[in-house]
Amino acid sequence: MWLADLIGGAVVLLFGLSVVFFSSELPYSSEFGPGPGFLPFWLGIGISGCAVLVLMKILKERNKTELFFKPLTRLGVQMLAMIVIAFLLLPLLGFSVGLALFTATAMRIIGKHPMLMCGLTAVGTAIGIHFVFGEWLSIPLPTGIVGW
Amino acid sequence: MDILSNLMMGFSISLTPTNILYCLAGAFIGQIVGVLPGIGAPTAVALLLPMTFTLNPTSAIIMFAGIYYGVAYGGTITSVLINIPGESSTVMTCVDGYQMALKGRAGAALSVAAIGSWIAGTISVALLMAFAPALANFALRFGPPEYFGLTLMSFGLLTVFGGDQPVKSVISTLMGLFIATIGLDVVAGIPRFAFGVPQLLGGIDFVVIICGIFGLAEVFNSIENPEEGEIVKQKIRLRDLFLTWDEWIASRWAIIRGGIIGFFVGLIPAGGITTASFLAYLAEKRVSRHPERFGQGAIEGVAAPEAANNSASISGFAPLLALGIPGSPTTAVMLAGFMMWGIRPGPLLFQNNADLVWGLISSKFIGNLILLLMNIFLIPLFVMILRVPYTILMGFIVVFASVGAFTVNNNVFDVWMMLGFGVLGYVMTKLKYPIVPLVLALVLGRLAENSLRQSLMLSGGSVAIFVTRPIALLFVSAAILAYLTPVIRWARKSAQSAKAAAA
Repeated sequence: MWLADLIGGAVVLLFGLSVVFFSSELPYSSEFGPGPGFLPFWLGIGISGCAVLVLMKILKERNKTELFFKPLTRLGVQMLAMIVIAFLLLPLLGFSVGLALFTATAMRIIGKHPMLMCGLTAVGTAIGIHFVFGEWLSIPLPTGIVGW
Repeated sequence: MDILSNLMMGFSISLTPTNILYCLAGAFIGQIVGVLPGIGAPTAVALLLPMTFTLNPTSAIIMFAGIYYGVAYGGTITSVLINIPGESSTVMTCVDGYQMALKGRAGAALSVAAIGSWIAGTISVALLMAFAPALANFALRFGPPEYFGLTLMSFGLLTVFGGDQPVKSVISTLMGLFIATIGLDVVAGIPRFAFGVPQLLGGIDFVVIICGIFGLAEVFNSIENPEEGEIVKQKIRLRDLFLTWDEWIASRWAIIRGGIIGFFVGLIPAGGITTASFLAYLAEKRVSRHPERFGQGAIEGVAAPEAANNSASISGFAPLLALGIPGSPTTAVMLAGFMMWGIRPGPLLFQNNADLVWGLISSKFIGNLILLLMNIFLIPLFVMILRVPYTILMGFIVVFASVGAFTVNNNVFDVWMMLGFGVLGYVMTKLKYPIVPLVLALVLGRLAENSLRQSLMLSGGSVAIFVTRPIALLFVSAAILAYLTPVIRWARKSAQSAKAAAA
């Protein structure tokens, strides 16, 4: 956890400094008062300052027994990968079918549910998304090769 | 008299068949969300928010309010039957509720929770009716400096109530404020932090962020930490739900006290329903003649926190409606909903949208009654829902979050943004950076920045404007005190450690 915290603190510090840098390119003040760069500049300073405090605390409490938090477990990585693939396939498959296939795959791989149950859930999900969001709420969900 | 006529007007709105249906739907969804570990009220409201684009705002807010207090009821079932709180607000219910279940009194525990919540909820609505309009009248005196002070105080209170990582809590707040600045600056018309991406010119929509940070992040966290408990094997019949005379005598004052504590804690921005239930439990233990019974299945230990969490979930609407300041993550998401529907909560809401305000307040009487009946007659159904595997639920969370994010601007870019915020939420949780301050700062960011800039414009750039106006001074002082509290705590702790080392 110590190393993860340290990396996290360093990332926050970098983020804060970037905010300071980019906000310094915006006008700090205007004719009527503070400009668009005023608040972000001070937010950046605040984030950086707090990050330094966090880093100091971490370095002071150096504890090597637990270096890192348990990173995403195998199931978590699988889930993330499935979501990314589903999103990539959305333009091709459309929202209803793409997300229905995702639901079935996630149920099968993560939950180890029977194929029939996964298949039925997928069909139900596709119909549900299409009718609830597409028809009832009139949301123009992208359609894919199936036309849904 | 004014309150009564307004309440009657409210009932004429909330008692329409459509609104009763939305109230019922909200209470039912809330109850289910409360029962299912791994999904909370803010997530449920966030995921359903995009579905309400086309709804009448009054019906939508009645449904969301039903979800909010329904969750407080639902979380009790898991706390009592499997010793796992469905919600953080029902943690204290586990202590004595589960012990009661082990002793064969699960029905009584669930019953006192439902009745206590109903009584406390009714007390809270009555107090809300008197308190919220008065607060709104008071807030009519607020100008930009007062609003800036108020937002500053809300952020400060988060560091007090935000747990043991105050610096990380401040970082989360500042990050939320920064995200709120992304997009076109409305005063100068200059794009900020858009980096040439046209989709960022309008800023990052709140719905996109909360769908990711609450919805997806919860999926990742829950996959890692599946909460599975064994349901106490006890058939709950209708007659088991009746309290004995002794149980009723023991719990009646606990309900009243819990309700009152919950009401006042709910009024504090960032106070929250979890804090209310903790305080009510501790207060009950302190006033009890037999504190040793607590933790062993004392019925007061169930009645007080349950009454408090429901009461706080209702009074939490006072700062939202009267000041436009949300007191909890769920009301923060609701504030985003108000903005989406083109309604600005605040003192003028009581004048401009009296039908919405009083429709909502009166619906809480109906919602609480619905939940009481649900919790008496539908317990077996909710126990059945408890057995739904999380692996099925998480698929649906991803579906709702994705469609919700898409709906905002009808583009897939937002869906990817939502995924990004889901991962951010997961990492923040792992590294113990609290998410709630980020969400609250995000939703209040525009108000905070605009009021700060307007104040400085009024004063010609002098910050003295925040100390020369009494109400602003009060808020700013409270904010400073709140930010200093962790420093004082730390200094005290260091002094004690030094003393101990010297001895």
